[in-house]
Amino acid sequence: MSFFDIKGLLSPFTALQQLGKKPHTAKFPFEELETADRYRGLHFNDLDACIGCGNCSTICMNGAIDMINLEGIEGKDGDSGLRPRVDNGRCCWCALCVEVCPTGSLNLTKDYIYVSDDANSFLWTPGVSNPDGGENLSFTSDEETSLTEYSRIPMRELEGSERIKSFAEVVLGYSEEEARNEARRCISCGICSEVCPEHMHIPEYINAIAKGEDEDAIRIIYDNNPLPDMCGKVCTRRCEDVCAINHRGDAVAIRWLKRYATETAKTADIVHEIVNPEIKEANGFTVGIVGAGPSGLTAAYYLALKGYDVTIYEAKSKAGGMTYYGIPKYRFPEDSLDKQIDYMVKIGVKIKYNQRVGVDISFNDIYTNYDAVFVGIGFEVPWTLGMNGEDLKGSLQAVNYLRDINDGQTVDVGDKVCVIGGGNVAIDAARVARRFGAEVTILYRRRVQDMPADWEEIEGAEDEGVHILAQGIPLEALGDENGKIRAVSYALAEMVADDKGGRPKPVQIEGSETELEITTLIGAIGQEADYSFLSDEYKDKLEINRGRIVATELGQTSLEKVFAGGDAVNKTADAISAIADGYRAVKGIEAFLNKTK
Amino acid sequence: MSNEKTQNEQIILDKLFESFSNIEGSVRRERRIELKVSKDHVLSVLLYAKEQLSFFHLSHISCVDWLEDNQFELIYILWSHETQMQLFVKILIDREKPVAPNIDYIWRHANTYEREIREMYGIEFKGLVGEQEFILEDWEGMPPMRRDFDTKEYAEETFFDRPGREDAKDVREEIIERSREELPDFAKKYSRD
Repeated sequence: MSFFDIKGLLSPFTALQQLGKKPHTAKFPFEELETADRYRGLHFNDLDACIGCGNCSTICMNGAIDMINLEGIEGKDGDSGLRPRVDNGRCCWCALCVEVCPTGSLNLTKDYIYVSDDANSFLWTPGVSNPDGGENLSFTSDEETSLTEYSRIPMRELEGSERIKSFAEVVLGYSEEEARNEARRCISCGICSEVCPEHMHIPEYINAIAKGEDEDAIRIIYDNNPLPDMCGKVCTRRCEDVCAINHRGDAVAIRWLKRYATETAKTADIVHEIVNPEIKEANGFTVGIVGAGPSGLTAAYYLALKGYDVTIYEAKSKAGGMTYYGIPKYRFPEDSLDKQIDYMVKIGVKIKYNQRVGVDISFNDIYTNYDAVFVGIGFEVPWTLGMNGEDLKGSLQAVNYLRDINDGQTVDVGDKVCVIGGGNVAIDAARVARRFGAEVTILYRRRVQDMPADWEEIEGAEDEGVHILAQGIPLEALGDENGKIRAVSYALAEMVADDKGGRPKPVQIEGSETELEITTLIGAIGQEADYSFLSDEYKDKLEINRGRIVATELGQTSLEKVFAGGDAVNKTADAISAIADGYRAVKGIEAFLNKTK
Repeated sequence: MSNEKTQNEQIILDKLFESFSNIEGSVRRERRIELKVSKDHVLSVLLYAKEQLSFFHLSHISCVDWLEDNQFELIYILWSHETQMQLFVKILIDREKPVAPNIDYIWRHANTYEREIREMYGIEFKGLVGEQEFILEDWEGMPPMRRDFDTKEYAEETFFDRPGREDAKDVREEIIERSREELPDFAKKYSRD
């Protein structure tokens, strides 16, 4: 280096050349920089969309999230009523809670500045602490990126064209691998078990299946449901409607998983071996049960386990009630039912078949001979359509038709069948008639989406070539000179909004009257109970309101020693509600008989 | 996969196959080649990739814990400025005795990645300089990124709950209580933790 280092003296001045250039960094006036697109700042929870499943709290590896009660938020069906609260002192903003939130209510915002000299104020209730946080979302989840599995493992079924050739079961069931994968989608929140009328232990048995412990799953299922084969195939499964995953994807296939578990025990002997129930010593009390439907069978099973001497009187030659005589065999095969009844008999339930109470044995005999009575008679008598020509030859009632077919009889319906109604019974009758080669039309007053039948049943019927004529109001049945039905006349309807806020009403369109040529008309608009088995003395004493027996929560009727359940009591009229009635009546009967001791 | 878009990737992959008989590999997509190599050959493959195929830059070393298979997987991610391609070199090592070759003399900065992996997964890199020095202090327990490390348990043991958290509820218990469900004891082990 020379003594006079010109370069060293001058080079600082080269910075001057930057004067007048646009700076690359700081802006003036000051502009706040936009945070990154998926910035993970403070939490925000949409309190209305949140269902309190607690998945965020479970996933949090820092134990930063609590589920707490908030003022103004009540638990209800499909909502635990709890909401997450985050300890911001523990949170590491990994955002796993957002990625597993099934509803998408929990998100992270762009806000990240939170200053306080009180460390205990770091408890942060998203949505309450920042009510406006929803306007500033940053890290959100959607069905694609979420770690929740939103797609159900599809159930294999027979093809529609194959199905109508026989009464073979349509649903083929999950394989072991499919069941395990489907069970793993469950987040075990238990929101489903609250809406199940029977409060089955759903998260527990699904988790047992996920872990490969099918026998434990069966034991958990039998804890409060002795008819799981039936429920595994035909349950109305309200549990799936409220499933946390259902909010953005397909509900966990709870019914099919129960079906999978129960089918791993193929015979009544195996069920007995696995469940191995403790049967208490006989306690000396006797209980008579009228009707071997789901409610009667359930009551009988748990009473027998508790040491009661139980006898069921069944009018028909098979047990199962509507689940045997009303549900077609392609949905619920006979051997599945037989397995359950065999198991019941094995643990000591006595069933007397072909004993119609009121005909073969009087109700008074049962009432006086037993310490307590349970009545589970169901809804057997169909409502009539109330239109002209209904008594023509070739006009049937769906429940009678299904009963005769299930009983092995032949019923000739010809080649053109019209079913009137939109419930599961109507769909069942239509699909059965289809299997006998008839062209089938379902006539329904409202729209297809208004049909009370399960959507799977409706789709199944359509796959099998059943024609659904929605918004068609039946007017009258027309006969030929021999008194045989030849056609049904109907009018098209338009849907008119109900002023009182009810569901839209079908109103006939003038001049749209049409005739549909048919060989058989099948009515399926509802059923009611048959109380003719009661003698006048009991009819007076047993309180019946609008066709239903009045009973307490534990099934006790106005006759102290008579308990009741099933369709003749509850308004939901499905098998699982009947099972729940039977299960609760066991407690009622137990409490009642303990008092008389 | 072999089409026009990935022709150049295929050429490089073929060169690798010519030089090494005991490697598996594929073109995953445009600009991405993946190789599966045995632990014994990884040094030669990495050196060859660097010196002969212009993969001068080591972007990262990643580790996967295949707990069920009892293996760790190390993934060396290389980048070539010249061909604008990424090369993934994957090796599997035994989870019981996890030892991997040290490559910090090929890329100096690999030393940092290796120290991190040693600390987080417990993998030993033979000849690693300053291996004890990284983030965790006096850590004697299971390396925390191993999948069988229970983070939640650690958090619960290590940190106390802030006052005010006593009102926390369990969702399942709340629902059981409200609907009067009777959950038998033998089923409780299947409830959510």
